[in-house]
Amino acid sequence: MTTIQDLVSSGAVSRIEVEATGREQSHRLLYGTPGFIAWLRDLANGAEPARRVGQATAAEQIDQLFDSFLRGAPLIHTRQFRYIRAEENAVWELKTPDVRVFGWFLKRDCFVCVFGNWADKVKDHELYRGYRIAIRRLRRELGVEGTLCVRGVDPGDVLSI
Amino acid sequence: MTSFQFDIGGRARNAGRFIGRVRDELLKALSERKKEGKISQQELASKLEVHRSVINRQLTGEANLTLRSLADLAWAMGMEISFELKKPSVDAGQNFTVTTTIGHSQIKYLGRRSYADNSQISEDSAPSLARAAKR
Repeated sequence: MTTIQDLVSSGAVSRIEVEATGREQSHRLLYGTPGFIAWLRDLANGAEPARRVGQATAAEQIDQLFDSFLRGAPLIHTRQFRYIRAEENAVWELKTPDVRVFGWFLKRDCFVCVFGNWADKVKDHELYRGYRIAIRRLRRELGVEGTLCVRGVDPGDVLSI
Repeated sequence: MTSFQFDIGGRARNAGRFIGRVRDELLKALSERKKEGKISQQELASKLEVHRSVINRQLTGEANLTLRSLADLAWAMGMEISFELKKPSVDAGQNFTVTTTIGHSQIKYLGRRSYADNSQISEDSAPSLARAAKR
């Protein structure tokens, strides 16, 4: 049975970390595929959407989102205001004002990022379905569809906090 | 590559996380006030004489929050803002962002339950996952 360590060792995913805000250790874990890591590098180098709506830069938004995720902060305030949303096929979306990240939960509190894109591009080009299909295909290729994939559409299914 | 550090620099990190915390505090306060039946988003908009969409954009982070709009939102929710700047403190065993150029405590609303990030973390969190990954 494939383990997370197997995925890391094979280079299928890498652990993602951000500078900690007053925390000794992560309460959740983040991983990214090589493609997502390349996208993160572009972001860190200043990539920005054509028309940014958030006060923070796209990179700052992602740093804040990842820090909140890793330190176990609440990701849902109300039904309307949330940083996380369930898609079909055990795919989840992490949200900031300008950025969308798609991936799946390997285990509870353990998310792997597969795609990152600008929010307006995702909505304008309706990329949701394509991302869902691609992520499911990736899980099958990695042989983790039945083992390292949390089902359920309730945030409580994938987050313990 | 087994791990990737997403590093945007201390100045950007400080700005982004501060903006995020302000927004989170507003949403938390609104959520609590709604639960108490004190105010709805529509009532908030009416009280501030703006369209509900303006409030919505401010709370989703899709519109800039000025100090004035922050103060107005707090007033409309019947909350008081506490704000202070202080030198970063380094507690034993805590990570410390050495590149931070300015220190600030969390903006919070007086008269409500004090909020601390760690208090939100239950026993069910995933320290075991974190330890496993470290190995």
